[in-house]
Amino acid sequence: MRQLELERPTKIKRKFGMTLREKRIKRVAYLFVLPAVLFFLAMNAYPLVTVLWDSFQYKNLMNKALSGWAGLANYTEVIHNEYFRKALWNTVVWTVLSVAGEYVLGLISAFALNQKIKGRTVFRAIIIVPWVVPIVVAGLTWTWMLTPDYGIINLWLVKLHILDEPVYWLGELDTALLTVVFVNIWRSFPFFTISLLAGLQSVSRDIVEAAAIDGAGVRKRFFYIVLPQLKTVSLTMIFIHVIWTAINFDFIWVMTEGGPLYSSETLPIMIYRYAMQDYNFGNASALASLMLGFMMACFVIYYMMTVKKNRR
Amino acid sequence: MKATKRMSALTAAVLLTTALSACGSSDDSTSKESTSTEGSTTTTKQETVKLDFWAALDPSTDEGKNIQAKVKEFDDAHADIDVNLQVISYDVMHDKLVAAINAGDTPDLSWGLSEWFGELNNMDALADLTPYVDKWADKGNIYPNVMEALTIDGKVKALPNYLGIRALLYHEDILKAAGLTEPPKTWDELIAAGATIKEKTGKEAFGIAGAGVRSPQELIMYLAQNGLTLADKQADGKYKNTWQDNPDQLAKAAEVFKFYQDLLSSKTIKADAKTWGWEEEDQNFVLAQYAMVVDGMWIEGRSSENPDGMKDVKVAAPPSKATPATFMEIAPLYVYKSEHPDQAWELASFLLGADYQQVVNPGKSARSDQQVDSGWGKDFMALAEQGVVFPAVSLGGITKAMEDSLARAMLKNDSPEDVAKWLSGAINDSLKKTGELSAS
Repeated sequence: MRQLELERPTKIKRKFGMTLREKRIKRVAYLFVLPAVLFFLAMNAYPLVTVLWDSFQYKNLMNKALSGWAGLANYTEVIHNEYFRKALWNTVVWTVLSVAGEYVLGLISAFALNQKIKGRTVFRAIIIVPWVVPIVVAGLTWTWMLTPDYGIINLWLVKLHILDEPVYWLGELDTALLTVVFVNIWRSFPFFTISLLAGLQSVSRDIVEAAAIDGAGVRKRFFYIVLPQLKTVSLTMIFIHVIWTAINFDFIWVMTEGGPLYSSETLPIMIYRYAMQDYNFGNASALASLMLGFMMACFVIYYMMTVKKNRR
Repeated sequence: MKATKRMSALTAAVLLTTALSACGSSDDSTSKESTSTEGSTTTTKQETVKLDFWAALDPSTDEGKNIQAKVKEFDDAHADIDVNLQVISYDVMHDKLVAAINAGDTPDLSWGLSEWFGELNNMDALADLTPYVDKWADKGNIYPNVMEALTIDGKVKALPNYLGIRALLYHEDILKAAGLTEPPKTWDELIAAGATIKEKTGKEAFGIAGAGVRSPQELIMYLAQNGLTLADKQADGKYKNTWQDNPDQLAKAAEVFKFYQDLLSSKTIKADAKTWGWEEEDQNFVLAQYAMVVDGMWIEGRSSENPDGMKDVKVAAPPSKATPATFMEIAPLYVYKSEHPDQAWELASFLLGADYQQVVNPGKSARSDQQVDSGWGKDFMALAEQGVVFPAVSLGGITKAMEDSLARAMLKNDSPEDVAKWLSGAINDSLKKTGELSAS
């Protein structure tokens, strides 16, 4: 009897698929998910598909006579642009140097702030200041401080006899990009500091002290005990910042607009020029698609390497 | 339960209606209210045409306030026209215009820069004003070379809002301190004066804009002074830069870039002037950090920033090479294709009228009957006849190439000949992209 009662719902389910209650719950669930799906379709999927589609179309607001299917013409034009390779290289330099600098500086400052020093709470609060300053404000302030005529940086460097005469840091071909990288590191390293500091606080002091008693020096303790325990937070931070930095537009635009003579132009700046200065949305979409492809390829390769490593 | 469902449906309907209303465009035909007398107020609704007018005026200045007052005066005097004046800066206006034209939602009139003339015409956005101008009684009062610059294929496609003629401005005291009695008249004299002024006063002689929107305006002036044009109209009605077809022209273009390099190497300009924009150029001149600059009349308005240092500023013709020439910025008043061409012309002709120009544009009016007899205005307007303008083609890519050519000459130190060849090719590439390159 008991067996029959238990079997009945299963049989009803098999016969009619789902109970009415289950169907209703499912419908309500779909209704709850619907806004998110619509938002995703409207704000993510549609623009992404449109960009991909436009990259194969002639779409220049200044020359409407030329329109229609372009095949790979936009991609060819973008890749053969005189400044494409330079912008690609600048994007790599900008991303690698920025993230590396932010990580190293963040790690050092996190270690310093993890020590029992007087006023530690105040220092921890102060160090976050650059990160909370809006990018445009930070960029314009640094531009002003770096000015050769009246900028405080040049004034100090000349007074300290480090420089003979002021340097136009943002106006020379070989210093513009590196100067913006420096300012970007200054602004973003506090985020690493705070995250790594949280990671450091979870490192067991007992293990570190035990290692010290066993004769492990500072360097050994750092590389073999502390750093491995920061691996997860480090990789997460580096991943996020590689994406954020590679696609960053505002800092470079505010400080140099990619100049002088494209010496600090990265791919996002180039996309902006195509779209908002040349009004060539075909070329802009092709370059944006290429950049998306680059980023996805990098992360797929990394993911596959990690999976392979974990299997071993 | 049913009540809840009804309420939800009603709320959704209200929200949807609100959202759709917000997205909808406003009707061009609006109503103007008028009041009657005898104590009680009655409202008579009269169908009016709404004109959208975008202007880059600065409402905080006297000029801006005068413009707003004059437009209101026009609005009040025309019961059938309602002017919707929107203040939009030049930086934003270009993007908004391009978007509006492509969306088929252009304003009726707008201010604009001369650099946009070719591309707006190329986008087929501008109204043909020829029939109106031909009947206009004031036609003869506009400088002929100005009207010519705004005419394409015999059709008047824009009107002159005001003129921004460039002249040589110099701090007389700095020149006197260097023992110079008059400003240089030629490029060679300028370079020679550079060394003297630097030696005697410690200041640089000259200022340039090596980057930004003003750098092509200065470069076109130096090219014109050496007998060159950026692009010439060919037999097929399209344009082409011909320097590479003519060794003499290429050599002359190279001389211009050599002049820029000489300014830098002889320290006639500051080392960082090679990447100055108009902001640094104007600011340093106003603060008397250097002696001379080719600039516009607006500098007079900045005298209050350094009243003592600006007292000695005088106006002269820019130093030249083969031909005297200066850049003449004709700030156009664009009238777009719309459903109300007659009303748009009514407003446009009011803005070009003697009364408006006298109040708003003293000393920079395109009307020959509205010139001032004294001060800076007179000196600037004396140069109107030697003014050169950009060719009527899409200039976005061309002006960027001009800016890049200066960077190649002064930052990369490319040879002047190479820079001239590169710029010639870049101009033609840009024309090709916009479909304006001649096949000849």
